[in-house]
Amino acid sequence: MTASVEVRGGGLPGAVASEWTKFWSVRATWWCLVAGTALMLFYGTLSAIAQRVGDQPQGAHTIALGGGFYLTQFAVIALATLFVASEYAGGGIRSTLLWTPVRSRVVLAKAAVLLPVLFAYGVLLSCAGMALATAVMDGHGLPTTLEAGFTTASGMGGYFALLGLLCTGIAWALRSAAGTLVSVIVLLVPLPLIVASLGLPEAMPYFPGIAGVNAMVEAGQPNPITMTAAPYALGVGLVICAAWTAAALLAGAAALHRRDA
Amino acid sequence: MITLRGLTKRYGEKTVVDALTCDVGPGQVTGFLGPNGAGKSTTMRMTVGLDRPQSGEVLVGGRRYAELRHPLREVGALLDAKALHPGRSAGKHLLAMARSNGIAASRVEEVLATVGLSDVAGKRAGQFSLGMGQRLGIAGALLGDPGILMFDEPVNGLDPDGVRWVRQLMRSLAAEGRTVFVSSHLMSEMQLTADHLVVIGKGKLLADAPVAEFIAGNSRATVSVRVPADGERAKLDARLRAEGGLTHPGEPGELVVDGLDVTRVGDLVHELGVRVHGLAEQTASLEQAYMELTASSVEYGVSA
Repeated sequence: MTASVEVRGGGLPGAVASEWTKFWSVRATWWCLVAGTALMLFYGTLSAIAQRVGDQPQGAHTIALGGGFYLTQFAVIALATLFVASEYAGGGIRSTLLWTPVRSRVVLAKAAVLLPVLFAYGVLLSCAGMALATAVMDGHGLPTTLEAGFTTASGMGGYFALLGLLCTGIAWALRSAAGTLVSVIVLLVPLPLIVASLGLPEAMPYFPGIAGVNAMVEAGQPNPITMTAAPYALGVGLVICAAWTAAALLAGAAALHRRDA
Repeated sequence: MITLRGLTKRYGEKTVVDALTCDVGPGQVTGFLGPNGAGKSTTMRMTVGLDRPQSGEVLVGGRRYAELRHPLREVGALLDAKALHPGRSAGKHLLAMARSNGIAASRVEEVLATVGLSDVAGKRAGQFSLGMGQRLGIAGALLGDPGILMFDEPVNGLDPDGVRWVRQLMRSLAAEGRTVFVSSHLMSEMQLTADHLVVIGKGKLLADAPVAEFIAGNSRATVSVRVPADGERAKLDARLRAEGGLTHPGEPGELVVDGLDVTRVGDLVHELGVRVHGLAEQTASLEQAYMELTASSVEYGVSA
């Protein structure tokens, strides 16, 4: 009612600014980012030491990919899941929707915060993993070309960003951290293996986890998880991830829109 | 101004809010009363778009809440003080809230000072006591300096000082011309705070009237006469009945008279020369009026 309040702001930009503040003001965010970093450095160091004694030579970019897929991605999943599910753990969603009553804006705002953060996190962490592995290998293992390093870094950035958004979509639909974590992890690892063992191995590269790994490997090279080359071009891996993510976000936004808060 | 038009909410078979129509006007405190489960909270939640009505609508300042570009600058609501992330500090919670509606960050310190939480701005909200949480919720409602304020049970968990502070805050907000809509179970508190009452029971509107009118319309003032001698009391009793009064015995030695005012009863006592130990008018409280009105619409009553 008085002039102490500015007249601009609000809407989607306001919702993004609000979510940005919320994201960085809880400890869970920092714990997840630190844990994911520690896991990458741990895996990079151990794998690089193994290169000095073992007989299965790998490049630093392959080691960073392994650290990202086997370990760090679970910190990313936890981070993105908690960003949404914590709204339902304490009833914070009722405050959030008072501030931003257009519900699709809340879904978009959280995605807009996670996308750049997780992309940068994936790029930086894969670079750190490759640098650490190169230093510890000390000339052992296989060399990493600039192109291979770039593919792994950009692929991991894109994969982490899309994986995080996939988690938010499922968390909006399920409203529970436990349910979301189980669903996403099953979708990433056991489900493609089960589908392959049931006689459809050609479906494996279309699951988001395997597609994401394919996006981190140079065209024509076999990825280190399934040991087969992608049946599609390099950029298609992330397009497949994006399709899964878009479907999850649409389902999540529809659920949020329909239900009473 | 909050405008409810045929507002209806059903959960499955159960109608929680039933075709509620009323206006909550500016410049006064409107108390929102009703037994547990009467639909008060659901009505408030529908007002800010958290719940969706099956039919009818509720408008704030003539528009639906979700259509407001800056809802927090037009409507401030304290619905559930625990509706926040327990790990986030009070200051950051309010800062995120301010940013969502383009409200200057300086307002955060202002409202924290208003509710007396400046010293604990950096403390995590999950560590707050019930009363502090309530104050933080009130700070949030005030953040956007809105013209419409809505409080669901605002004095829950507050100490007597806090209760008095909330009462003064409501009065001053209304005096500034704002619309203040507040639900409470505490009748004595409502009697002191509210100018106008909206009473619902089982989701239906039972009353929509100024407080004084509500009390007058839903209760009868009675007169108590204490006459120590049994014979004289019987004589007075007969005379009062002859004058059209309804009497019934109260405490030992007391007659309670309905339908005659205290002046008339006093005159009759004098006329009969009866010795009295007490003659008093008993005016009804909001609580009595409320109990009479809602007696038949208590959702979770205890059967005798």
